[in-house]
Amino acid sequence: MFGSQAKSEAEEGRTTMSPAGPVTATSSQPVAAASTRRAKTLEAKEVNLFYGDFQAVEGVNMTIEPNKVTALIGSSGCGKTTFLRSLNRMHELTPGASVKGDIELDGEDVYASGVDPVAVRRLIGMVFQQPNPFPTMSIYDNVAAGLNFNAGRIAKSEKDEIVERSLRGAHLWDEVKDRLDRPGMSLSGGQQQRLCIARATAVSPEVLLMDEPCSALDPVATLAIEDLIAELKKEYTIAIVTHNMQQAARASDNTAFFNLEESGKPGRLIEIGPTEQIFTKPTQKATEDYVSGRFG
Amino acid sequence: MPEIRVGYQEELRTLEASALGGLDLVSAAVTRTLEAVEHQDIELAQIVVADDDRIDGRYLEVHQALITLLATQSPVATDLRLISALLHVLKNIERMGDQCVNICKVVPMTGHEPPADEEMVKLILTMGVHAKSLIMQAKHAFEERNVEMARDLVERDDVIDELNRECFQLALAIGDDADKREWAMTMLLTARAIERIGDNCVDIGEQVAFVVTGLFREFEDASHPSASA
Repeated sequence: MFGSQAKSEAEEGRTTMSPAGPVTATSSQPVAAASTRRAKTLEAKEVNLFYGDFQAVEGVNMTIEPNKVTALIGSSGCGKTTFLRSLNRMHELTPGASVKGDIELDGEDVYASGVDPVAVRRLIGMVFQQPNPFPTMSIYDNVAAGLNFNAGRIAKSEKDEIVERSLRGAHLWDEVKDRLDRPGMSLSGGQQQRLCIARATAVSPEVLLMDEPCSALDPVATLAIEDLIAELKKEYTIAIVTHNMQQAARASDNTAFFNLEESGKPGRLIEIGPTEQIFTKPTQKATEDYVSGRFG
Repeated sequence: MPEIRVGYQEELRTLEASALGGLDLVSAAVTRTLEAVEHQDIELAQIVVADDDRIDGRYLEVHQALITLLATQSPVATDLRLISALLHVLKNIERMGDQCVNICKVVPMTGHEPPADEEMVKLILTMGVHAKSLIMQAKHAFEERNVEMARDLVERDDVIDELNRECFQLALAIGDDADKREWAMTMLLTARAIERIGDNCVDIGEQVAFVVTGLFREFEDASHPSASA
């Protein structure tokens, strides 16, 4: 599934994953959004995360189910973002950071030796808290950036198709189709975040990780992103870190609550379950106290 | 960690006390209603009817405050279940107040003659005493989140139901005299209203179980008695 580190950059860039198996990047894909397809399952097994000697996350076991939105909630410093970043091997980009345990995408270990982290990040995309379009690039080039990087040379017509499909999928096409050559930074905050989502989906990932994707957006843009997330889950497996508990309640199917006993201790997964259950009848008192806003 | 949202928690506690305080109002209304029935006291019956505005006022006031909490505080988990349950309980309280009004409105129809059947009046007064006891038991079960006490309401309500059936038998046997028959019909309406108060108490018990367990189940399903929880 994942490109090997032994392969050359150009060679690995030509292979991506599709539901039907590996396809060459030059094969065309339909412009219209497909109906629900089965995305892949992401599974964490006894995951422990460290920054140098400091253990940030301890013993996390959880399944991020396909075609569902899993919200990760918990107070600041509980390790939820660290955990999210470990899922596509971004945690290791921090100097001194390390990972113990397994993270498997449909049974294949993301951290197995020989697995190329770049290939992992192509299959498990990330959308960040602050919309971060490439500042010097046009709207079109922002979406196509991953294609250029990952897939080597592809035909202009095919690139056009992928850009349109991705922008449509991100509910942005109608707003930008007449100004694709304008800078990505010329868009509003909410549009920029949708542009970033289009950029993430352009490379046909299996999983989308979102780290507080709406925290920099106004309420209307936030609801637009939440609607988009509900659409995207038909295609992808989605995990979203959010501080907004109402967002977790509105936008997710499953909710995972992280907590730490006290400052300096590692964060742990306290409870994961259907969102409805977490917000109506959680099994753990700590979860109840957190979702009820009794401590923050 | 420090406790936060203290004001909201305090308000929720106050609203619960205020809602359940409605049961005290109902209990007092039942006491007066029984007295009016026993003594055929039309003036007292009119006071009960007028006083029902207090119960309705409590219902409207607490209901509005709970809706405001829902809109502004986004309660979840136990708090959400509590608010949902209190909205139900308020409705039950309002209905029980209305049953007292229903009884008191027919008190003038019993006339000034001595009761046609003393035994039937006794049965109805006994039903009323049981109903008052159920009201207070429902209140305590809610306050203490005591599911066992809440479930016990079903058996205690069965006693009222049995007394209601006995009233019906007495009414059937009251004879052919038109005045007596009219009196008996009036008393059956009274018995029926008290029987409904018992049912409302059982409904409150079901809400206690919902607050505690997160599952809403009818303790008894009148249309499918064998399928009840």
